Amino acid sequence: MSDGIKRRDFLKVLGVTGAGAGLVGCSTDHVEKLIPYVVPPEDITPGVATWYSSVCGECSAGCGVWVKTREGRAIKVEGNPNHPVSGGALCSRGHASLQGLYNPDRVTGPMRRTSNGFESIGWDEAEGMLLQGIQGAGSSTALISGKEGPTLSALMDEVVDLVGGTRIEYEALSEAPLREAARLAFGRDVIPTFRLDDAEFILSFGADFLETWLSPVEYTRGFARASGVDEAHDKARFVFLSPRLSLTGQNADEWVPLEPGSEAVVALAMANVLVRDGASAGPYGDLLQAYTPESAAQEAGIPAETIEELAQAFGASASLAVGPGVAGQGANATATNLAVLILNAVAGNVGSTLQIGVEDRGAASASYRGLSEAISGMAGGQIQAAIVHGTNPAYSLPPAAGFREALGQLDFSVAITSQIDETAALCDLVLPARHSLETWGDANPRPGLWSVRQPAMAPVPHFDSRPAGDLLLALARGLGGEPDGETFHDYLRNRWSERHADAGSPGGTFDQFWREALRSGVVNLDEAVVEAPSLQAPDRALSFDRPQLEGEGLTLVVYPSTRLGDGRGANKPWLQELPDPVTKLAWHSWIEIHPETAQEMGLRRGDIVRVSSPHGEVEVPVYPYPGIRADTVAISMGAGHENYGRYADGKGVNPMRLLPANVEEPSGALTHLNVRVEVEATGRRRRMATIEGSDQQYDRPIAPAVQIDQLRAGALEHEAGYPLQELQGGGGFIPVPVPGDGAPEDYPLEGARYGDYDPAENPRWAMAIDLDKCTGCSACVTACQVENNVASVGEDQVMMGRDLHWIRMDRYYEQIDASAPGPVDVRFVPMLCQHCGNAPCEPVCPVYAAYHTPDGLNGQVYNRCVGTRYCANNCPYKVRVFNWHRFSEVPEPLNWQYNPDVTVRTEGVMEKCSFCVQRIREGENKATLENRELGSDEVIPACQQSCPAEAIVFGNIRDPESRVAQVSNNDRTYRVLDVLINTQPAVNYLRKVTFHPVDSIHV
Amino acid sequence: MKKQVLIALAAVFAVLASLAFVQAQASSDAADDTDPSPVQVPEREQPFDFPHEPHVAVNQIDCQYCHFSVERSRSAGVPPLATCMGCHAYVDGEAQAGDIATLRQFWEDREAIPWSRVYKVADHVYFPHMRHIAGGVECADCHGQVGEEINVIQRVEQPLTMGWCLNCHLEMDASRDCTVCHY
Repeated sequence: MSDGIKRRDFLKVLGVTGAGAGLVGCSTDHVEKLIPYVVPPEDITPGVATWYSSVCGECSAGCGVWVKTREGRAIKVEGNPNHPVSGGALCSRGHASLQGLYNPDRVTGPMRRTSNGFESIGWDEAEGMLLQGIQGAGSSTALISGKEGPTLSALMDEVVDLVGGTRIEYEALSEAPLREAARLAFGRDVIPTFRLDDAEFILSFGADFLETWLSPVEYTRGFARASGVDEAHDKARFVFLSPRLSLTGQNADEWVPLEPGSEAVVALAMANVLVRDGASAGPYGDLLQAYTPESAAQEAGIPAETIEELAQAFGASASLAVGPGVAGQGANATATNLAVLILNAVAGNVGSTLQIGVEDRGAASASYRGLSEAISGMAGGQIQAAIVHGTNPAYSLPPAAGFREALGQLDFSVAITSQIDETAALCDLVLPARHSLETWGDANPRPGLWSVRQPAMAPVPHFDSRPAGDLLLALARGLGGEPDGETFHDYLRNRWSERHADAGSPGGTFDQFWREALRSGVVNLDEAVVEAPSLQAPDRALSFDRPQLEGEGLTLVVYPSTRLGDGRGANKPWLQELPDPVTKLAWHSWIEIHPETAQEMGLRRGDIVRVSSPHGEVEVPVYPYPGIRADTVAISMGAGHENYGRYADGKGVNPMRLLPANVEEPSGALTHLNVRVEVEATGRRRRMATIEGSDQQYDRPIAPAVQIDQLRAGALEHEAGYPLQELQGGGGFIPVPVPGDGAPEDYPLEGARYGDYDPAENPRWAMAIDLDKCTGCSACVTACQVENNVASVGEDQVMMGRDLHWIRMDRYYEQIDASAPGPVDVRFVPMLCQHCGNAPCEPVCPVYAAYHTPDGLNGQVYNRCVGTRYCANNCPYKVRVFNWHRFSEVPEPLNWQYNPDVTVRTEGVMEKCSFCVQRIREGENKATLENRELGSDEVIPACQQSCPAEAIVFGNIRDPESRVAQVSNNDRTYRVLDVLINTQPAVNYLRKVTFHPVDSIHV
Repeated sequence: MKKQVLIALAAVFAVLASLAFVQAQASSDAADDTDPSPVQVPEREQPFDFPHEPHVAVNQIDCQYCHFSVERSRSAGVPPLATCMGCHAYVDGEAQAGDIATLRQFWEDREAIPWSRVYKVADHVYFPHMRHIAGGVECADCHGQVGEEINVIQRVEQPLTMGWCLNCHLEMDASRDCTVCHY
C-alpha cells in the first residue's frame, strides 16, 4: 500500500476536480419562465395529480382505467379498481397507450394525396372533400371500422344509413368462431364468460388467455386466484393442449403438444369418455360415439391414456375448458370451439365456471367475412368510396386478400386515424383523429356492464386533430341527416340519457347518474340474470376433423403478440423494447423452431432463414425453442410494418404474408392455421436483441419450487423460522459520541447499532412476490418504465446489453424428466433491486451515491453518482443499470409523458428500482398533512399496482400486521441468494408450487 | 514516488479545471452557505413590475391568498391572472397605474403573464412546500421580507444550497436522508 494511491487521497483529488466541473452547471444564466393560469381550472392544484376515469382503447376487452394527469398532461394509465374487468390492474399494452397519445408520428393535420405524396390542407377543405366524396359515392360507400364503442358504432350506422352504404367491422383478432359456436351449442349469440377463479382444473386448447385472448387482464386475475396455492394448500391444475407453448402455456402444469388442428377431436374424445362414464351429452350423444380416445390419440399424436386421464380429472372436479385461441384458428375453428363448449357442457360446467349470458345482438363479431365481401365489391365496382377508422387491414390481412389493390381502385378513400398506418397511407384523404385518451366514448365489455370514456386531457397541441365522432356528425349533417347532438359529447350524453331512462332511471336524475358514471367509471345496467342453457342440436353440419394444410414442410403457427397485439402497438418504444415474455427478445421478429429440428437442419440461434409458403416468403432469425412441436414452427404477429412510424418500420417481419386469405365457415373468421412452410438457411446471421443471460439456473437457488405434496407434508416448515419481520439492515447507524480520540480498542462504541437505524422509529419497506401467482406477463416492467421515466434505448443498444429496465422478468426452464415434452416447468422471477439490508453495492461506491436510507431503502442519489459502475459490478442480482441515454434524444411530444415526480436521468449515472420512493414520500407528505402516521400498506408501487395476477405486495415489514409481513410469513418464503451471501434482501419470494417432483426445494 | 506523481498530475488537472471556471467560482462565492447574506441574482427581465410591498406590507394580504396551494402541494402556486383581477378589476393603484393597465391588457387578451423565475432549487431536488408550512417554517424564513421588495423579487434571500438546507434540517431535527429530497 506504501506506493499505491490511497482511497482517501483519490477522493480528495476527485473532490477538487468534481467541484470544478460542478460549477459549470451552477453558472448557467438560463432563465426559466413561470407561467400561471389565466383562470385556474377548478380541479387542478399545481403539483398534485388529478385522476380521470376512462376506458382503455388498446384492445376490445374494455378495461376500466384511471388516468393520472399532472398540470393537464396525462402521465400514467392505471386500472380502475372499481371496474370488474381490469380490477385495478392493466397489461403492458394498456400502459403504453400513453405513447399512442404522445406519439411523435401522429398525423399533424388533414392531408390530401397528390401525385407527389401527401399535402397538408385545412380542415374546411378536408371536410368538404369528405362530404363531396361520400355524396358522390352514395350507396356505394363502405365504412370500415374496428370494433368501436356502442355509441360511436351507432353513429357510424346512422351515417351509413343516410347514404344506404355498407358498414363493415373488422378486427384482426376476432372471436367470431367462439361466438358462433356458442350460438350453435346454446342458441345464444353471446361471448361466454369464463370463470377461471372458480375452477380447480383448467384445460386450454391453445387459448392464450393470459396474453391476448378476449380479456387478458381479467383472466390473468382469475387464473392466478385459481392457480396460486392458498392457505389450505389448494391449487388448480392447468393443462395446456397446443402445438406451441405460449406464455399462457408456460404457466401450465402439463403440456400436451398435440397435432395442430386436432384440438376438436381431442375435446370430443374427452367428452366421449365422460359420457361413457355416465354424463349426458344431450343431442351430441351420437356424434361423440365416433370420437374414442384411441382414434383421437392417433389423430392428435398423443397417448390415448393422456386423453383418458385428463377427461376423468376434468369430470371429477370443478373444471373449465377454454379455447382455442387465434393461433389455432384453422378451417375447423368454429367446430373446435363447439367441441370445447360441448366438453364443458358434458362436464356440467355451464352455469358454474362457464356462464352463457343474455344475448348480445348489438355487438358485432368483427370477423373477416364482411370485409372479404367488401373487398370483392371494391374490386368489382359496387363499392366506390371507403371511410376507414380504427383498423388497419392493409397490414393485418394477408396480401392474398387483395385489400391494398381494391382500396387503390376506389374513387375516394379516407382514413380517420390518429396515426398514419399502411391503410391510411393508401387513402386519398387523411383526417387526423383524436387518440382515445383525448375523446369521449363508451364501452360495453359484456351485457349489463357499461363504462364511459372521458378525455383525460385537452388534445395534444402538436396535432391538429378532431374527434372521429365529431367528423362523422358533421358528415351526417352534410348528408342531410339530423343526428341527435352538435358534438359527439352531446350525442353520447343523449344516447346515455335514453339508456338511463330505459333502465328505469337508476341513481336519480340523469345529471346525477352521469356524474357518478364519470366518477366511478362503472355502470351496471340491465343486468338480467338468465338461466344456464342446455345443449342444442346444431343447425348446420360441421367438420371437426383436422384441417388439410397447404404446402410442404413444417406447420406454421401465427400467433398474436403479447406485446404488439395485432400490430397496433408496434410504434411504441415501450412495447418494442419490452422483451417478449417467452423468448426474451425485443425489437425484432424470430421464428421458433424446436432445437432438435434446428439441429437436423443445421440451424443455430440467430441464423437467418428464408421461410416460404405457397403465398409468400419472409426472412427471419432462428430462435430454437423447446416449447414447440418438432414438426411446427411459429412466428408472432405485430411486427414487420412498412408505414407505421419510426419505431415500427423495418422492425421484424409480418407473418401474415405467408398466409392465404381463407374465410372460416360458418363464423366468417380469417384462418391462421393454413400452411406448411419450407425453412432454408440463407447463410446469414444476426445478433439477437435479448436481455437474457441464461435460461438455466445451473444449481443456483434463484427460483426454487416445491411440490404440492411436499408442501402439504410440511417439508418447508423448518424454514418458516426465517425471522422475516426482524429483517436487519434498516441501514446506516445511530451516531454516538466517540470517547477520547477514538482508539481502535474503543470500538464497537457503546450504544452504537451498526447496520441498523432505530427500528422503533423507522419503517422497513419490503416486498413479497408470490411466484406461484406470477405469470410472467411483464405488465410490471412497463408500469415501472412509465412511472419511473425509464428510457427505451433501441435495438442496437439492447444488443449491447444496455437496456435500462428496472425490473427484469427472468425466466428459467426446468426439465421435469427426459420423457416429458418441452420445458413444462417454467419459473418466472421478476428481478428488481432487492434493497438488501447488507447491500454489496453500497460499500463500493466511492462517492456514497449508493447508500442505505433509514427506512430500509437502498438509495441511489443521481446527483452524486459519477458513474464508476462499481456498484453494478458488485451487485449479485444484476439489477443496476448504467444509463447511456441522452434524454434530449426523446422527440417531442413523447417527453410529455415524463412523471414530474421522478428525476429524468441522463447519460453517465447508475439507476435502479427505488421501490417507487416518490410514492413513499408522497404518502408521507399526505400523512403528515392529515396529522397521522403513514399506514403500513398505504404505499403501492407501480409494479404492484399494475400486477394483474395480484402477485406483488409491498409495505412496512416491521409491522407484523402489514400485508407484506402476513404474506411473507409463509413456509414458501425465500430470499434470493441470501443464504449464500447474506445480503438480507427486502424482497421475499414465495416459491412456485408444482404438481410434479422438483429437484431441490431448499435455497 | 508513483503516488506523488499521480497526485501531482491530478492536482494540475484540478487547477486547470478550476481556472477555466474562475468566473463561475466568483459568482458561487456569494453562495457559500457560511455567509447568509442575500444573493443578488442577475436581473431578470419581467413583463412588468410587481411590487410585493403594497400587497404585503401596506394592505396586509396573507401570502396564501395568492400563493394558494402552498399548504397542500409541493408547489406554492403562482397566482392565476384571475386572482389579480379579483381586486384589480376595481383597484387602480396609484404609483403604478401603468403596470396595472398592462395587467388588465393581459386579462383582456386572456393571456398568461410570462414571469421569469427567480427562486429555484436544482432540478434534482424535490422540495415540498406543504411539509415546510406544516412544520411551522415561515415563508419569510426562506423568502425574506418580501414586503420590503420593490420588484417581483429581485433578491434570493437565502443561498438555496444543500448546506443551507441541511443546517436548518439539523436545527429542526428534520430528516437528513438523501432520498427525502433526491429521487
